[in-house]
Amino acid sequence: MPILECKGLCKSYGSVRALDGVDITIESGRIVGLLGPNGSGKTTLIKLANGLLVPSGGRILVNGLAPGVESKKIISYLPERSCLPEWMNAEQLMGFYGDFYADFDRSAAEGMLARLSIDVKTRLKHLSKGNREKVQLIMVMARKAGLYLLDEPIGGVDPAARDFILNTIISNYNPTASVIISTHLIADVERVLDDVIFINQGKIVLASPADQLREQQGKSVDEVFREVFRC
Amino acid sequence: MLGKLIKHELRATSHTMLPIIGAMLLTAVMGNVCVRLANGHDLPAAVSLIVLLIMVLFFVGIFAIGLVTVYMMVRRFRDNLLRDEGYIMHTLPVSVHAQIWSKVLVSALWYALAAVTIVAAVVLLTFDAETVKVIGDLFKTLYDVFTQGEGHIAEIVVEFLAVLVLASVAMSLSFDAALSVGHAFAKHKMAASVAVYIGFLILGQIALSFAARLTVMTNFYGYLDAPYVDVYEFITYWRGICGAEAGLLVLEGAFCYGVTALFLKRRLNLE
Repeated sequence: MPILECKGLCKSYGSVRALDGVDITIESGRIVGLLGPNGSGKTTLIKLANGLLVPSGGRILVNGLAPGVESKKIISYLPERSCLPEWMNAEQLMGFYGDFYADFDRSAAEGMLARLSIDVKTRLKHLSKGNREKVQLIMVMARKAGLYLLDEPIGGVDPAARDFILNTIISNYNPTASVIISTHLIADVERVLDDVIFINQGKIVLASPADQLREQQGKSVDEVFREVFRC
Repeated sequence: MLGKLIKHELRATSHTMLPIIGAMLLTAVMGNVCVRLANGHDLPAAVSLIVLLIMVLFFVGIFAIGLVTVYMMVRRFRDNLLRDEGYIMHTLPVSVHAQIWSKVLVSALWYALAAVTIVAAVVLLTFDAETVKVIGDLFKTLYDVFTQGEGHIAEIVVEFLAVLVLASVAMSLSFDAALSVGHAFAKHKMAASVAVYIGFLILGQIALSFAARLTVMTNFYGYLDAPYVDVYEFITYWRGICGAEAGLLVLEGAFCYGVTALFLKRRLNLE
């Protein structure tokens, strides 16, 4: 059974069509790049999978389930913006995630926090913006989830932080799970991707295994992306 | 999962509400000391000014604590479910119903605690040997009333408290519903929420005026103008009013709950 399946998926905001008849099938155990320019529909697709939005048409299934309480048990979601309660500290946050997610691995989270020398007793509002984002990523990757949905995990961070984020994703995700990374910064993530999906103006432009695409085109995914989305 | 949500909701709200309650009680204790200092003593002007300021602070606090509690609960709902934290809360494996109930129950608890704080603050302000005697007599009278054959009075008190609890739940739900509808808009979300809340108030008044015609309320207001009041007849009317009010509050709460659940499920529009 595919971990994520979309059939004729549509989402409109008023008269604006954010997704227009999207068909995608993603199997378990793959790292997938959801690649497209700003406003192409990446975040809308991820929000639909999380049940944060309701489709205007078509359907979306997570492990065969419509988005809801059961599907949320297997999704680990990193929003594109920092949204942790700032009055909490990392220790309280681990308690929060541990209470609601049976697959949360507290010792893994503590290990990652210790490697970054983040004091678990310091309130999040007293951490730097970069460290708050890292704490959020750590909470997401410390779960043994079935599907990781990472929305722009490397957007707006410096190159050193990008390396940390990608290494954290690669070394902590559940190998039987799928990871969907939404981004427009292709060069940085290309090395970790098994599959790529190009999306533009709410439509799927291309979906292919990354190696196959490189072989067929004789170019890197980043170069193909630049060609496809040339202004 | 509702229990876990309530646990975290209590933790999140107590770090703002407990200092407010503590400050109110501390002001009451300081007020008590001031009353004793000022009573029959000729104080220097500076001390008199401080005493006056503390007393003003106390009375402002008594009036403000209810409003502050409502504001904190409304802000908590908005920030936790309709702004950035909503990305965390709405992706938890819990139902929308559990989310709403956790907020409503914890809000009702803080409203009750705010009411208890006001009573406790007044007691603390006036606390002396005479107050202890008055409070003791009051509890003794209440005990007698509740235990010695005047059972209907106990029932009236319980019914009245139940109406107060229902009113606080309905009030929470009306704020939550207005915020949920207002935040479904793309822009000016708070302005839209206020407009929706005013709309709910108007709807509520229309419903109340219809209900008043259908219930004992109309007769009751006429009855109050009567030249004499029969206590048993009054109690019958009063219980009728409480029952009608409870019914209206349940209807209002159910309507607002339905609106909140619908908009959180189908029309969520996080920034």
